[in-house]
Amino acid sequence: MPKIDGSPALRGGGAARSPRAANYKIEARLDPLRHTLVASETLTWTNTSASEVDMLPFHLYLNAFKNEQSLLMRSSQGMVRQAKVSETGWGFLQIDSVHVAGVDLTAKLHPPADAAGDESVVELPLTQPVAPGATIEVAFKFTAQLPEVFARTGHKGDFHMVAQWFPKIGVRVGPPGAERWDCPPLHANSEFFADFGTYDVALTVPSTHTIAATGVLTNAVDAGRGMRTLTYHAEDVHDFAWMADPFMDVMSGQAKLVDEGTVEVRVYYRAEQKDFARRHLDAAIGAVEKFSAMFVPYPWPIMSVIDPPVDAMSDAGGMEYPTLVTTAGDSVFARPGIRVPEYVTVHEVGHNWFQGILASNEADEAWLDEGVNEWADAHVMAELYGQRTSLLDWMGWQGELSAVVRAATISKRETPSAIATAAYAFVDSAAYAESSYGATQRALLTLERAVGSQRFLAAMKAYAKAFAFRHPTGRELFDLLSSELGQDLSWFFGPVFHEVGGLQLALRHAGCRPAHAARGVFGDGSAKKTVTELEAPDTGTWRCDVVVQNTGTVHVPVEIELRFADGSTKQLRWDDRGTGNWERFVVERSSRLVEVWLDPENKIALDNPTAHHYRLDGDGAAALRAGAWFSSFTQTVLQIVGP
Amino acid sequence: MARLGLGDLIGAGPRAVSRYTGTLLAVFVVQSLIAATCMIAVALVFAQAFAHLPLFDDAVDGDLVALLYCLRYGKPSLVATGGIVFAAVVLWQLASWFLVGGLNGVLAQRPEGRGDTARCFGASGAATYLAYARLALCALPGWVVVLFVFGTATSLVSSHIVHALTVPELIGALAVAVLPAALLLHLLWTVSDYARVELTLRHDTHDPGVIATYLRTLSYVLRRPVTLVHGAIGWLLFGLVTAAYAYLAQGHPMYGAGGAVTLFVARAGVSLLRMAFRFGVLAGQIELGRTRPLPPRRIEVNLDSKS
Repeated sequence: MPKIDGSPALRGGGAARSPRAANYKIEARLDPLRHTLVASETLTWTNTSASEVDMLPFHLYLNAFKNEQSLLMRSSQGMVRQAKVSETGWGFLQIDSVHVAGVDLTAKLHPPADAAGDESVVELPLTQPVAPGATIEVAFKFTAQLPEVFARTGHKGDFHMVAQWFPKIGVRVGPPGAERWDCPPLHANSEFFADFGTYDVALTVPSTHTIAATGVLTNAVDAGRGMRTLTYHAEDVHDFAWMADPFMDVMSGQAKLVDEGTVEVRVYYRAEQKDFARRHLDAAIGAVEKFSAMFVPYPWPIMSVIDPPVDAMSDAGGMEYPTLVTTAGDSVFARPGIRVPEYVTVHEVGHNWFQGILASNEADEAWLDEGVNEWADAHVMAELYGQRTSLLDWMGWQGELSAVVRAATISKRETPSAIATAAYAFVDSAAYAESSYGATQRALLTLERAVGSQRFLAAMKAYAKAFAFRHPTGRELFDLLSSELGQDLSWFFGPVFHEVGGLQLALRHAGCRPAHAARGVFGDGSAKKTVTELEAPDTGTWRCDVVVQNTGTVHVPVEIELRFADGSTKQLRWDDRGTGNWERFVVERSSRLVEVWLDPENKIALDNPTAHHYRLDGDGAAALRAGAWFSSFTQTVLQIVGP
Repeated sequence: MARLGLGDLIGAGPRAVSRYTGTLLAVFVVQSLIAATCMIAVALVFAQAFAHLPLFDDAVDGDLVALLYCLRYGKPSLVATGGIVFAAVVLWQLASWFLVGGLNGVLAQRPEGRGDTARCFGASGAATYLAYARLALCALPGWVVVLFVFGTATSLVSSHIVHALTVPELIGALAVAVLPAALLLHLLWTVSDYARVELTLRHDTHDPGVIATYLRTLSYVLRRPVTLVHGAIGWLLFGLVTAAYAYLAQGHPMYGAGGAVTLFVARAGVSLLRMAFRFGVLAGQIELGRTRPLPPRRIEVNLDSKS
């Protein structure tokens, strides 16, 4: 029998951190052969809005895996993150009954009017409206068929990743008195949004299986016939996920937080992945410590990291739930020093802040958790593994996380949607990913470098403190940053997050000619005088023109460095905010201009810097070296095909 | 004639290299000229795209981030470079029928003196060029089979390659994917080599047909595994020299245009060594080829003379 966790669900106990609007009691029994759950659920929901409610919408997420008519299948075309849906392993969630105050309302359940064949949301009309501040209990009995793992949920062989598996109520959003339900169907790009609450979940599972779950284990009893019932309790979380597998081992360590508390970090893994599990454990401990120091301390006593079996990794790996995440990246190609597994773990653990604690709407504002988390990941990885080697330190190759990701992913063409676009409204998953992850990270990095790292980190910490256990929006983040940084930043947030166009910085022209007094014909009549090269000889200095342009919509101050033939440099600054899209600089020097470097300190992460550094006279030495490499390669091939 | 063993075949290599060093160097010069032309063409392509961007210098000197930008920014240059390399390989393949014919001729006839050697080389290369070209066409179905075997074996173990967690697991999966095709490729390659030897040795006396020669040689190679072992030793040495150079060169980027020349010279040395191995293998194949049973002699019958 597994050891009971002795700690309270919140570290140190204490009062509720959130409004706890949606509280669940669930009893579920797993059939590991059929991959089904038979369960009962009692939801205690409090209407925290200022308007009356006469209908309750519920997510039945598993129905997104039911058939090809679901929005998930239609929007993903059966493929998420290069992983294909199984044609034989469909999943579903069947409501067997629903009662409110003892009245059977099962027959009243119906899909929303605009469902269009999707069954992942269902509406329950109430016989009695729920007044503001009032509480209602809804009792479900349901059967869940887990799909063959796809889009982070399901089974693969004996491995069960049980997520988004129970009827889950929507969230009231909008201004007081005019609230509406937010309960969209599951889309391939969008993740989740739910109210905080408590969860008491009793899982009856095979005694042979290792279980990891959200919250703390409060009870474990033998249920007979080779089964046992494990009861978990979680507080101030907005989801509950669990994993069952007969082959998993667990290793653990302790994260020491800034508030002098500790968090037990556990990694669940199969024996063949033990070496990777150690790496995940170190990364997870480091992430819990660093995120706690950067934002708010991790509030729960346990952090569980699931390292899925290799054949389930692409489908089940890389997902976040409160106090439990799945990681990925285990591969022979991820040699020690190639920190992809560590990066995935840091990213998923980081989500316990950006969406776990700061519970933004992942469907409407995916960038607010994914992109902000990406930005924070770069800091945490740099602190854990060194600035220059945060992603890569292998065989002489080094790479900083944000720089490598930027170079590998920055789009050469603008996506047709702004960053602050709802996840389901992007033209495709590539545009969603580029905007929500990379572009957001680069935007925050650019702002951080513009205002100073210390100040920006302090402002982000203030944001975390202000909105912990609430549902922050992008607007609230912008307002808080403007307030904390003491300046109106609408000039930045508007075009960066709400407009298409980005930042397209370029050197338009650079050149020098010998300087001299004006030549030509001057004056009229008898006073007419022709000044020739003899009267106005070259002064021995150079007059250099540099024209820079920005054809994007985002305008930020740009540092420009000019380098001259004698080794001297000159720094310029171009602030094109409100001054137009181009600027001409004229410099007179004793030495000729040889290089122009826009943004030499690489502060502007939003733009592609490939052509930012330009030398006026071409130099083919590197091209020759590259040619030598290719010729050597060619000669090897020649010797294989010929003598 | 005494039956030759592996030692005899291997021993023929150094003898041939020491006796016909000039011939070997001449072929190497031709190959190096093609490689150097390739280097200049590639350098021009890259210079066109990157001569004004110091970022490319960093990329060539091993800056990963700069390299990523250049790869993404310079895709047309990379495509052009691929085209140049492909053209060089095709050109060399066409030239190799003449060059191998010349080398086989020299090794078979063992001429003395530079002049005779050069004449022998040219005459043999020219005499067998079209026969070698037809032989290459004849061997094409075999390459298709190699590709099919490789594709099938790879698809069988692709999930093991993707999901490998350790180096032994990866090597095991790759071995299953590559070995069957590699062995078949080696067999077909050896058959082509010995068929060329036959075409050279018996060109003047028997004028053997290409298809018949290929099929007879296939049968011969299957009956004499020493042919495969001998060829494999040559490839093993080839691979070892390449790997040793790659290992020694690791982490030693050379800067400046002078570095490029140094690099070219160092790599040329490696290439020369590898060519010497290939030449040595050819010499062994000629030695063994001499001991093969003679092919049927082609007899022309003039039907008109009967009447």
